[in-house]
Amino acid sequence: MSIVINSVSKAFGTFQALEDINLEINTGELVALLGPSGSGKTSLLRIIAGLESADQGSIFFDSENITGITAKERKVGFVFQHYALFRHMTVFDNIAYGLKVRPRKVRPGKKDIQNKVHELLELVKLKDLSNRYPAQLSGGQRQRVALARALAVEPKVLLLDEPFGALDAKVRKELRRWLRRLHDEFQISSIFVTHDQEEALDVADKIVVMNQGKIEQIGTPEEVYENPQTPFVYDFLGSVNLFKGRLNNGKLTQGNVNLEIPDWAGSDNMEAVGYARPHDISICRESAGEGTVPAIISHIHLVGPIVQIELVRKGTNEYLEAEIPKEKYRKLGLNVGEEVFIKPKQLKIFTPEDFII
Amino acid sequence: MGGNIPLGFTDTPLGSSREAADPKWVQWLLISIALTFLGLFLILPLVTVFVQAFEKGIAVYLEAITNPEALSAIKLTILVAMIAVPLNALFGIMAAWAITKFQFKGKNLLITLIDLPFAVSPVIAGLIFVLLFGSQGLFGKWLFANDIKIIFAVPGIVLATIFVTLPFIARELIPLMQAQGTSEEEASITLGAGGWKTFWYVTLPNIKWALLYGMILCNARAIGEFGAVSVVSGHIRGLTNTMPLHIEILYGEYQFAAAFAVASLMSLMAIFTLIIKSILEWHGKRQMSIENH
Repeated sequence: MSIVINSVSKAFGTFQALEDINLEINTGELVALLGPSGSGKTSLLRIIAGLESADQGSIFFDSENITGITAKERKVGFVFQHYALFRHMTVFDNIAYGLKVRPRKVRPGKKDIQNKVHELLELVKLKDLSNRYPAQLSGGQRQRVALARALAVEPKVLLLDEPFGALDAKVRKELRRWLRRLHDEFQISSIFVTHDQEEALDVADKIVVMNQGKIEQIGTPEEVYENPQTPFVYDFLGSVNLFKGRLNNGKLTQGNVNLEIPDWAGSDNMEAVGYARPHDISICRESAGEGTVPAIISHIHLVGPIVQIELVRKGTNEYLEAEIPKEKYRKLGLNVGEEVFIKPKQLKIFTPEDFII
Repeated sequence: MGGNIPLGFTDTPLGSSREAADPKWVQWLLISIALTFLGLFLILPLVTVFVQAFEKGIAVYLEAITNPEALSAIKLTILVAMIAVPLNALFGIMAAWAITKFQFKGKNLLITLIDLPFAVSPVIAGLIFVLLFGSQGLFGKWLFANDIKIIFAVPGIVLATIFVTLPFIARELIPLMQAQGTSEEEASITLGAGGWKTFWYVTLPNIKWALLYGMILCNARAIGEFGAVSVVSGHIRGLTNTMPLHIEILYGEYQFAAAFAVASLMSLMAIFTLIIKSILEWHGKRQMSIENH
């Protein structure tokens, strides 16, 4: 089922949680709503589910306007942040609940409910735990029960609020891969809320980056990571190095450093900030004149194939971060406290008007 | 080598730190003070009630609790409790639901109002009803014209009892329902259940122990209420006397053995209530530990 969100706004008292949100989600997509806390992502999810009502705007499932339809009638699967399992029911009864509460005319028979629940228990690999109570399960198991319970009513839309927020790192990774497979298998449209960019980049087809009640950028993981459209997106999706200065004739100047920015050849003496990811920073021993920035190595993280190097820029004392392959690191023979020269291989330029939100 | 340090700590008995904090004699002193206090102010009066009740022999005791006036008082007391407790349960659930599941203006005022019966003297509560429904009261003329008796009749006693016992159940439910939040109800609704089914299958099972506990407290107070009921009852023997009023009348007539006999019956009811309360508490705690472990 496709979902269309049409200029939705929502305020809680004087706090503007959502401001004129427009978003389209195609059938079968797995979409991540990514943003810091307070960005409005959970409010948006709850409005789609019908648990909260929008002050303005409308929501369509396929071509049907469901803005005025209650949560009970929307038939979405919703997985809550802290699972919200029914604490006095067993795992079996939790999963069967959505089928049991149907009006008598459309309620499946006892046997059918049993079969369906067992099928789902098998799917979430909790067959042996069907008589346990939620309190007797681990976090990951509870999460899977919550998913099975939401899937029991065969929703066309699955909404997940911080689905892996309360789990430890290893279980998280496993579960999100599993969610991806599940989503593909059930051919539903799924939206999940997260503040973890790695999670969003890892599983989503499409990422919606939100900040202060507005959408900053919509795109595939590659698009938002490789080509962030706003400084916020650049900053939120990973570590970043900032190079402030004045832009003049394709050169970003600060002190006696001149960085070449060929894309901005026509620029004329404007303030600008260059953004570069740590893996786009190269380190060399010798200065290459004005195109390189002198810095002192302050820390070296040696774990894994990529070496993370923290540096302090000379003159401005700004903090910089670089990631280089281990081989390169060995070749250079770097040590803490040494002076080196860095060069951003690629700089994304944002001018002051990009920062106006 | 470093691993030895934490291992060494686990060998220390867990209780040692507590024992070190409080010397033995302090423990004993505190326990004896508490027990003496309990004995003087609770056990002794309770024993006295039973001793006095049987002072003139078992025959007088039995006569005292089986004569028609006593029986009528017992019946009326039970009737009042049976009306007041379910009504207050209903009100308590609705009030707690409204307060914990919805956001609305005047919520704090409602919470304060629920506590009002605790703050007002029961005698004043009784007087309020006399002023409202008595022959000189606000609705007095209309009630007289339609031949409806509230004051000095059973309805007045029921009303006064409901007023006095109103906070017990709501007060028990509100903190629990606040702690449990609304997400289970929301889950139920997204799964297609309506409001009634959600209440019946999700909310009620979650609050049942607190509800029962509140009902028992409410029941105990409904049976024992004296002040408010005394004002509205009119003390008509065999008609509008509840057990506490009956005891007072007997005592006023120097029938000490009979008064204490009925009092002993009420004490037994109270003890029985406490036993049920403890069982429920124990059961509730066990349930909680299963569900929240």
